Amino acid sequence: MPASRLADILSKAGVACEPSDEALGAVVRLEAARITDALAALLSDGFGFLVDLFATDTGEAIELTYHVRSLKRLEDAYLKTTVTYDGEAPSVWRVYPAALYAEREAAELFGMAFPGHPNPKRLLTVEGTEPLLRKSIAIREAGEVRLS
Amino acid sequence: MTDEELMRVRGIRPEGAYTATVLPKGLRRLPKGCDELATEHLILNAGPQHPSTHGVLHILLELDGEEVVAAEASLGYLHRGVEKLAESRRYHQVGTLLDRADYVSGLHSETAFAMAVEQLAGIEVPRKASWIRSLTMELNRIASHLVWMGTFGLDAGAMAPFLYVMRDREAIIGILEAITGSRMMFNYVRPGGVLADLPVGIEQRIRAFLSTFPGFLDENDALLGGNEIFRARVQGVGVIDRHTALAFGMSGGCLRATGVDYDVRRARPYCAYPEIDFDVPLGERGDNWDRYVVRVGEMRQATRMVEQLLDGMPEGEFTAKVPKVLRPPAGESYAAVESPRGELGIHLVSDGGPTPYRMRVRSPAYYNLAVVDEALAGGLLADAIVTLGSLDIVLGEIDR
Repeated sequence: MPASRLADILSKAGVACEPSDEALGAVVRLEAARITDALAALLSDGFGFLVDLFATDTGEAIELTYHVRSLKRLEDAYLKTTVTYDGEAPSVWRVYPAALYAEREAAELFGMAFPGHPNPKRLLTVEGTEPLLRKSIAIREAGEVRLS
Repeated sequence: MTDEELMRVRGIRPEGAYTATVLPKGLRRLPKGCDELATEHLILNAGPQHPSTHGVLHILLELDGEEVVAAEASLGYLHRGVEKLAESRRYHQVGTLLDRADYVSGLHSETAFAMAVEQLAGIEVPRKASWIRSLTMELNRIASHLVWMGTFGLDAGAMAPFLYVMRDREAIIGILEAITGSRMMFNYVRPGGVLADLPVGIEQRIRAFLSTFPGFLDENDALLGGNEIFRARVQGVGVIDRHTALAFGMSGGCLRATGVDYDVRRARPYCAYPEIDFDVPLGERGDNWDRYVVRVGEMRQATRMVEQLLDGMPEGEFTAKVPKVLRPPAGESYAAVESPRGELGIHLVSDGGPTPYRMRVRSPAYYNLAVVDEALAGGLLADAIVTLGSLDIVLGEIDR
């Protein structure tokens, strides 16, 4: 499925986006504030399954990836949006309840927030843990790293 | 935002789809005397060191007498940061981490990772390597389902089947040890192929296993599934309907038990699966019994597949030529396999360096577990334990 078809679906719902066909598949990039509207439009189009939701630290900001799928047509679509460190993206749990856990995990491991989440507690780590998956957090202390 | 605003779901999900009836806020923690009967809600901690939570799951149950009012899973007791650690490992070394993520069926996550790397780096896998991968994965699937079958019986109070299925699993673990060199932490599937060729004499050993296993499986099935008490405990209990399962991203046996015909081996064919013949067992109602029937059916299908894979095992190389230090070009890839628990996907981001820039594990048990907050409410405490067992969770994979 070409990314331009995704862009058509989103533009009908009044969401502006930037489509691109990548090796990964059809990807559209859009602003974080419109993510709920965009996913609701895709859901009405038959993308009923949220495969995964995760964040990546790009070095400048946090990139959120929403991977959705239509099980009938076996089509995958990727929505990407970037938020600043300590930024926020609206919770999409009303569109895909599968996001309930994934958003809690992304929030604690990247130090961002999903306003609108009904139970925004930590999921995997205890209170006070640093956002572990950020690139600024080293895997080992400097003294522990074995030099080659 | 108020609760009413959060709950405003109409108009967002299309007609006929799942809509939340209760705000998924976790425990209600209703105060004493919340009704005219002076009802007091008891909060019960099940786990993290309770045998029926299959590892280190901590589940909080809010009880009104015997009835579960709300349930909330508390995770993270086994969180080792597999995704973070992968960012410091070369591509050949990540398999060891993934073995410890899903420790009951390590070969599946290893294969998913290898496939994601091969997509990124454009490596062509030799036909024999694909077939060996499928062969070991199907053996691993039987071993994993046997562990599930035994522990599911234990949850419902059946002790004996556990001992018998462990005997059968031991035979498979022995075969896998002969092939991979390790009983559970295999690190056998590498980007480009597998670590080593099949050892001499393994075919006879697998055939000897295949000659006895179907009979043993029928016996175990009759012992557990044919038991009147077990059936009464599971039939019609823990119903998760199709819309709920899809909305919560459930996959694998849990999704197929609701009648949705979705299997990664069919939908996104990989390894040797397009070339062999197998059926996908389906359920109807999505209750605990359907999940049991689907998984036992999957074991029978896996036995069939192992036979075909042995018969048609091609000659050739067991691995492609892969550089010692892989540096895939910058980009992203997603590869998924049908693990015993569902769709196990690895999403890789490469920046062209010798280690992954970001690895995301799409863990099937993680999404399957998310439904408990919804599915356990309204049932009885004893049923909650059985329903939890039917989901086949592996905490190593959920917490990563």
